[in-house]
Amino acid sequence: MELARQQQLFARLCTDRRFREEFFAAPAQVAAREGLTVAAEGLASLPPEQLRQFARLLRTRRLGEVGLALPLTRRVLGLRFVELFKDHAIQGPPPGERPGEDALAFVEFLHRGAAGTPVEPAWAMSLARYEAAKVQAQWLGRRKLIMRRFPHALRRLVADLAGGAKPEGDYSGWTFAVWCCASSNQEPRHWLW
Amino acid sequence: MIGNGIFLGDRAGGAEHSGLELLTKRARKRPAFARAGTALNSMGRKTEITNLLANLPRLGAGLAYREPFRAELLQRQPEVDFLEIDGDRYIDAPPARKNELAVLSEHFTLIPHFCRLSLGSAEGVDPVYLEKVARLIKQLSPPWWSEHIGFTRAGGITLAQPAPLPFNREGIDVMKRNIVTARRAIAAPLILENVFAPLVWPGGTMDPAEFIGEVLGHGGCGLLLDLANLSANAPVLGCDPQALLDRLPLERVVQVHFSGCRESKGRLVESRSQPVAESMWELLDAVVTRAPVRCLCLERDDNLPALGHLLQEVERARALGHQHKRWN
Repeated sequence: MELARQQQLFARLCTDRRFREEFFAAPAQVAAREGLTVAAEGLASLPPEQLRQFARLLRTRRLGEVGLALPLTRRVLGLRFVELFKDHAIQGPPPGERPGEDALAFVEFLHRGAAGTPVEPAWAMSLARYEAAKVQAQWLGRRKLIMRRFPHALRRLVADLAGGAKPEGDYSGWTFAVWCCASSNQEPRHWLW
Repeated sequence: MIGNGIFLGDRAGGAEHSGLELLTKRARKRPAFARAGTALNSMGRKTEITNLLANLPRLGAGLAYREPFRAELLQRQPEVDFLEIDGDRYIDAPPARKNELAVLSEHFTLIPHFCRLSLGSAEGVDPVYLEKVARLIKQLSPPWWSEHIGFTRAGGITLAQPAPLPFNREGIDVMKRNIVTARRAIAAPLILENVFAPLVWPGGTMDPAEFIGEVLGHGGCGLLLDLANLSANAPVLGCDPQALLDRLPLERVVQVHFSGCRESKGRLVESRSQPVAESMWELLDAVVTRAPVRCLCLERDDNLPALGHLLQEVERARALGHQHKRWN
């Protein structure tokens, strides 16, 4: 069905900035390359700025969801979190459909240094990985045991943040975290050393 | 507990839960609305739909549920006539969230609102997701449930916000087909929301209000009128919100979303982070005057104020409904 093809193209245009800009620069060539000639005919007449506006709205919604999944990381990074998320989100649509999957992909994006500049302070990366593991333990499936090791004193950092204190120092040390779930109907139990 | 580690397993919400359990003793008894749709096969379709919409309960004024307000909402239950919940958040949810839903459902009439079912997807509705939505709705037994006149799924991509459809016959046919599929699985009445559409899809052959009217008519659905979306779309369509309102099938309005908008260059711009502007109250008044609304729902996502501030706005909306005799 023609509309189905158009919707697929529209969804990609809204979530992949590089593809969008390529498409509006040379719609016929891109459409031919992607085998979308007929579907593309209609969408090529969309004003690019309107599509960009919708893409920004989608990114803002994703940012809101990911911020809820990684609340401490968002808090400590502030505006930098928003900038880093933008770098992540313009690359493509959220992976999967579950709420936590976008947050996990974002943390993976940060972890492999894809943002270009390392996340500062260094302990913020450990905090992001810690919150990602928590998301995994709560949402993503049937894993009964999750273990993680972090190169920072996360127990102290989390306590500081919970108490409303401004994090200070480099939080040097090591932390070992475990989430364990007896069944999918139970909340995971969590230990932090 | 293992070793000398700290045990964090019962979550910070543990203390709240014990409080919530106490509160369940004074839980509100709710009528079972959801069976209203089960008689659909035995009567003429249009009459049934009309009756279905006409018989929906008059709920009053409430708000879209946000987690930070959980404990306080339970304390201030009498000030809220219903809660709209983001249904997608409770699909495949972790146990803590399921418990939260159970507690809320004992105290409030809940209206589940979805966007990931994607009734506007030309590739059809995901049957697995539909089954999960149906199960949740059956569990809640709401007076109605809602989705959007738009799509969020296409080609394996999930959009975080419903995208508009082309205003043409193909768009109507897609909605109609998916609504039929959904209604086979879900007995509770369905209402559909007008989506935010900063762009007009090429290939449209009809007026947007006519398109909405056709979708609702064919699908036998009520309208969830989002005033912020209406206000934001009007300039794109080259008209003002009141003019767009005039063309909509107001007799089908069941629920209204209203929210804080800011004014920019004489236009209302959607912003669920501000108090409700006077121009929005005026628009709401115009709707309540003319449409047989069953409830008014305040939405606020960001920059959350104290709950008391939101409840003042809910009370103002409730008074508006009283004034126009939409409820007692």
